[in-house]
Order: sequence, then C-alpha cells, then structure tokens
Amino acid sequence: MAQIVLQDVDKIYAGGVKAVDALSLEIRDGEFMVLVGPSGCGKSTALRMIAGLEDISGGTVSIGERVVNDLAPKDRDIAMVFQNYALYPHMTVEDNLAFGLKLRGTPKPEIKKRVADAAKMLGLEPYLKRKPAALSGGQRQRVAMGRAIVREPQAFLMDEPLSNLDAKLRVSMRASLNQLHERLGVTTVYVTHDQVEAMTLGDRVCVLRDGKLQQVDTPQRLFDAPVNLFVAGFIGSPSMNFVTAKLERDGVSFAGFKLPVPADVFETKPGLSGYAGKEIILGIRPSDFEDAAHAKPDWALIDVTSTVTEELGSEINVIFAIDAPPVEHKDTLALAKDATEGEEEETAIPLLDNKALWTARVNARSRVRPGQSLELAIDTHSMHFFDPESGLAIGHPDTPRV
Amino acid sequence: MALGFLLPALALLGALVVYPIVFSAYRSMFDASGNTFVGAHNYTRIFTDADSRTAMRNTLIWVVVAPSLVTVLGLIFAVLTERIRWASAFKMIVFMPMAVSFLASGVIFRLVYEGDPHRGVINAVLTTVHDTFSSSSVYPGAIARPGSPLTPAPGNAFVTTTGIQPGHMVLLPLVGLPAAQLPKSATQAVPAPAPPPDGISGTVWLDFTRGGGGVQNHVDPAEKGLPGIRVQAVQAGKAVASTTTGPDGTFAFTKLPAGTYTLKLPGGNFAAPYQGVTWLGPSLITPAIIGAYIWIWAGFAMVLIAAGLAAIPRDVLEAARMDGASEWHLFRRITVPLLAPVLTVVFVTLVINVLKVFDLVFIIAPGSVQPQATVLALEMWRVSFGGGADQGAGSAMAIFLCLLVSPAIFFNLRRFRQEQ
Repeated sequence: MAQIVLQDVDKIYAGGVKAVDALSLEIRDGEFMVLVGPSGCGKSTALRMIAGLEDISGGTVSIGERVVNDLAPKDRDIAMVFQNYALYPHMTVEDNLAFGLKLRGTPKPEIKKRVADAAKMLGLEPYLKRKPAALSGGQRQRVAMGRAIVREPQAFLMDEPLSNLDAKLRVSMRASLNQLHERLGVTTVYVTHDQVEAMTLGDRVCVLRDGKLQQVDTPQRLFDAPVNLFVAGFIGSPSMNFVTAKLERDGVSFAGFKLPVPADVFETKPGLSGYAGKEIILGIRPSDFEDAAHAKPDWALIDVTSTVTEELGSEINVIFAIDAPPVEHKDTLALAKDATEGEEEETAIPLLDNKALWTARVNARSRVRPGQSLELAIDTHSMHFFDPESGLAIGHPDTPRV
Repeated sequence: MALGFLLPALALLGALVVYPIVFSAYRSMFDASGNTFVGAHNYTRIFTDADSRTAMRNTLIWVVVAPSLVTVLGLIFAVLTERIRWASAFKMIVFMPMAVSFLASGVIFRLVYEGDPHRGVINAVLTTVHDTFSSSSVYPGAIARPGSPLTPAPGNAFVTTTGIQPGHMVLLPLVGLPAAQLPKSATQAVPAPAPPPDGISGTVWLDFTRGGGGVQNHVDPAEKGLPGIRVQAVQAGKAVASTTTGPDGTFAFTKLPAGTYTLKLPGGNFAAPYQGVTWLGPSLITPAIIGAYIWIWAGFAMVLIAAGLAAIPRDVLEAARMDGASEWHLFRRITVPLLAPVLTVVFVTLVINVLKVFDLVFIIAPGSVQPQATVLALEMWRVSFGGGADQGAGSAMAIFLCLLVSPAIFFNLRRFRQEQ
C-alpha cells in the first residue's frame, strides 16, 4: 500500500487539447479517493496516467516514494478495474484471476491460495471453471474486482466499474465495494460521473472540470461548503437552486421574496458583509426547504405554487417556478450542458416565461399536489452565497479573499 | 409450388455442379478412349505412377509450408502495422499483389527467378551482394600455353614445372582470355627487370597477339600484361612469399632465402564468377513457386488478421498490461488466442486454395522442369490435356483432389454456421 501523489500533472493530446491541466492531488495511504466530474472533465485520463496507460505530458506522478512517470504499467504494482470488465474471454474465471500472478512468477500453491481466497470473498467459487461469456454482468464485475485483489497491489484504480450494471445491482455492488475497501484498506482511486457513487464511496471526493481541479474534500464538506457554483450545482441531487439576489445587511431579496440572513452567517462567512447592497448569486439546496407545516418554527417562510410534484414515497420533490430568470453563469451553463449530454438542443422542460424552476424536497406527509399553493420554510442558516462574477463561494475557507 | 421456385436454382446447380461431378466420377472408371471399363485402375495409378507421386509429394509440401508461412507472415504484418502511422499505405502495398492476376504474377516471378543475373532480379541481387563481399576473379577460363613453364594444378591454380632459384627472371604466359575482358588498367607487357640475387622477378601476360604474328612464350610488343594476379613462391609445399602483378604484368619477390622455389598462381585468380542460384532448376522450383505464392497471399492474410486485431477490445490488452504482461506475453497469451478463430479461417482457406494451386506452377516452372514442379491440379491437367490425353486418369485425379479439399470445406462451413 502506498500514497499516490500527482504534482502539476498535465495531459496534452496531439491536437493540442488539454485534457488535464496542472492537476495536483495527494491520495493518502489507504484512502478511497473518488474522481468525479461531467464527461470529458479529464478524470479518466488522470486515472489512466496513474495507471501508465497514457503518457504524462507534464508534472510527476509518484506511487509510494517512487516517481513512476517513465515506468511501464506492469512495473507500477497497481491493479485496475475497467468499465467493461476487460476480462480475458478465452480464459476461465480461475485463469483470469491467476493470470497476473502467473506472469509475476508467483509459486503455484500461493496462486491457488490467493485465487481461492479472492473467490470466497467475492462469492465466485461456483463459477471458477466458467468462461466470462457464461457469467452475468455482476459476476463479471466481481471477477474483474477479484483479478485486482489477488495481485495485492499498492493501489486499486477503478474506471467507472459500476456504470454497466443495472440500477439495483449497482447499489448492492456499491455496498460491497465499501465493505471490500474497509476490509483490505488498499489505496483506491475511483473514477465516476455519478455523484451519488462519489458521495457514498469516497473518503474524499475530487471534483474535476475541464481538466482542472475544483475541490477536494470529504463528501459532507463538498455538500455543505462547495467552493464554487460548479461544485455546488454538481454535488447533490436534486441539484442546488440558484437565483441572482440582492444582499442587504438584514436579508437577501429575490423574485419578490426577502429572506433574513442570520447574523452568524455573516460571522462564519468572512467577506460576506462586504457584498451588502450588491448582487450575489444565492444557492439553496432542495433539502433545506420544508413544508411550513412540518418545519422548525424559526425557518423563513415563502409562498409558492407547485408546478410538478415527484412523490418518492419517503419525500416529495416539489418543483415550482419563481419570478426570476434562471442564473446564466458559465458554471451553471456547463452543468446544464452536461445534464443534456452535451447536445445543443435543450431537452429539459421548457422554461415558463423565462422563469427559473426550483426544486424543494418536503416531507411525504405534506399532501401537496401540482398546481396547489404551498407555504415553504427555508433553513436560512444553510444558504450559499456566490460571487456573480467569479462564481466562487463567498467566505469559503478555500477561496482567496476578494 | 415450392418446387416451382426452387427449379431454376436446382436446374442450374444440377447442370453446372452435380452433373460434372457425377460424370467425372463415372469417366474416371474408363480408360483413355472412354470405351473400356477399367474399374479402380485409374485410382491405383495415382499412387503408382511416378509423375503423379511427385505431384502428390509436392502438393503435400505446399500444404504443409505455404498456408502456415502465409498465415504467420500475415500475422506479423498485421501486428506490426497496427502501431505505425502510415499503416494503411503499407497495407495497400502488401495487398496489391492480390489485384494482379495470378497468371501475370506468374510471369513476373518467372522473370524474377531468371537464372542469368542480367535478367533475374534475385540473382542480380545475389551476385551483387556476393561480389561485394568476396571479389570475383578477373580471369576465369585462362589456360597455360603448352610449352610454357606453367602447368595446371588442382583448384584452377597453375604452378611452374621447374624449380626456380633466387636471382632469376621467369616468364609466365597465359592464353584463353578474350582481350576485351582484360581490366582497363592493363598496359603493354614487358619482361620484368632482372631481380637482385635474393629475389625472383617475372611477368604474367596474355601471350596472344591479335591478328597473329607474336612469338609463343615471348613478350611481344602488342601483348598486354595481366595486372592484379596473385603470385606465390612455394617451397616444400608451403607458400613462403606472395605478391601481386603490376599493370604491365611484372612481379618481384625480394629477400628470399636461398633454395629452390616453385611459383604458383592460386586458383582464386581464375575461378568462374558467381552466377547466383538456379531457382528454376529441378531442386529449387517448388520453394521458388511457394515464394511467389506467399508474395501474392500475404496481403490477404494480413488484411483479414488486421480486421481481427481491430476487433480485440482495447481494454483487455490494457488489463493484461496492468496485470504485468510484457509485449511478448501480450502477443502470445492474449492476442493470438483471441485471434485464433480468424487465424483458423485464414489457414483453412489457404489450405483449400493451395490444394488447387495450378496457374503459378504452370507459368513459373519452365516446361522442362514441370515434371519436378507438378502438383495435383497441374498433373490433372497434364494427364488429361497437356500431352497425356487420358481423360479417364485425369478424371480420377480430379475426384481425388475433390475428396482432399472437401474436409477443409466442411470445416469452414461448420465454423460459419457456428458463428451464425
């Protein structure tokens, strides 16, 4: 086991496209680090550079104490799990597991023992003599996992290993992955575009965008204190609601509403008071709303009319329009583009008279129906404030003071 | 109703495929005239007749050598071209022979294998390379004039018949060389100046005056020296000194210990020039034709195998690299096993093709060598039409060939059905 350190790593493709831009990242020994970001953000490229499958255009990658820039993948002592499993189709499950060990000249009894251990851990024992073609997707994924485990490498690299599984299996595999990491404690770098996977699996999560590092932190800190509009919008589902608002000492006003800003918010966010009287971008998470009937008494109230409701059983997502245009910042536009899979044509719901649609997550006991008016309470302590120019969170400890 | 739709196809198939096969089988049991029933005699003849046994042996060589060589070469080309940038240009060049008719290819290779280095490109290359590394002699075919002091010795060499003491000058005349063949540096021959007491001098020259008139064993004014000839002074069977003649043919040994010497002109001076390899002779004809066959088919194998290579998932190769496979391991343990279906199809297709090979052998092998180069398909034609005029025996051979090909065809058909 070892730590992995990336220092100012660049990846420039032949066409001059910069896929990874001065990425510096320290993955601690035994840590489960998730690289997350929209498609094309360079997360897979970064992983492949750690693996040695892509040349490093600039900077250094070290595993343990060794700089591995010029080492072939086989000499880096790391194992990788691929999105499409990448099993050897002509070998049985057993041979698939043993292949790496055989190449390294591990003694036969040792191979046998390790393969048996891994098969037991992953529940693959009944399938050892089968070829990959005779396995289900989940079983193949476990074989791919097992192939990494038997090697007992310094680190695991996983490239969207769950994205080819169906939703239910993905959830259960996510749990087993978590367990596995707990048990083996091997440094793991995990790439995904699914922020739920990122949040549930990672000890820390690294958000990338256009090859640039946005924020590295624990999932909870990413959720509570996103460093900029992009991270704020990317992390969390449904995503954060944004509006351009005017900040005053006594509150923030937008779309005909005025919400009080508690005094301690100004204290914990140094620099926020400097924005008094100016425009800012306000962000409110759907989970910081509640039906006023079920909310704490000290939350601020607003009256809205629900447009659509999504009943999830345990809670209801209320989608409502506010009397303000949607925020058009480069960060939010990038997110919208990612949501529509990069297509030019906007496939999301058409906006009502250029009004922003917000989502509130309320208690299932609230019997709200589409078209009904509803009184919503807002946790004003958890509001997020962003600079309308730079998109950076105001008063975030990682943000340079403006 | 169904029969109505099937009928045209059935009629065509029957007339063009079934009837000829059945008739050939029937005809194969009659003699050359077609009137006398001979039973299996034509079939036993295939195994007893010397020519058809040669054909069978050659066909066996073809089947064993050609398909495997073509497949291996195709694999190597395919793997190598996968990593170069101008791969498509390379592939096009290697594939191009497939676009040439086999008859034309045969004609090309007939010329390529031509024995005369001035016409056959392979022998031209071979002689050039050979002459670069071991200079060929300038005076092949020289003979000693009767009555001269020289007499032929084993290995194209010449030696003096009498012993020579230091302090003497000797004349060593040679004839039998066309004057035009002499090196340009050759000047008029002169008798060598008298040597010092411990030396031997002499002249090697072409003792022939054009238009006649010269005196034998005498250096006449119009006669040229032979430059560059090695001369050895031999004592008791051992060469003790050696020198080379100058442009006027003179040479001189100095500081020879007292004693009697014979002078030797070593065989290297007179060896026949290297003429390359007789590709179209009886012994090399089959390998030579197989070479032409490989030239034609390597591109076909390469293109099919390259398509197979492209179908191997990239991440499987990457996974193997991560697992610690070197490039060689990758090739042997991953690439080749995953290519096995493609390689088998290519190989079997080539086996079928090789069993039927006719045109190349017919064109490349000169008529006189055809009995040594013949293969079953060619022998079938030779026996039925090309002089044999025995269509009974030819039919038997055709049926035999058909039986040989059919297992390979069934194998390919079965594979095909499995894939579907």
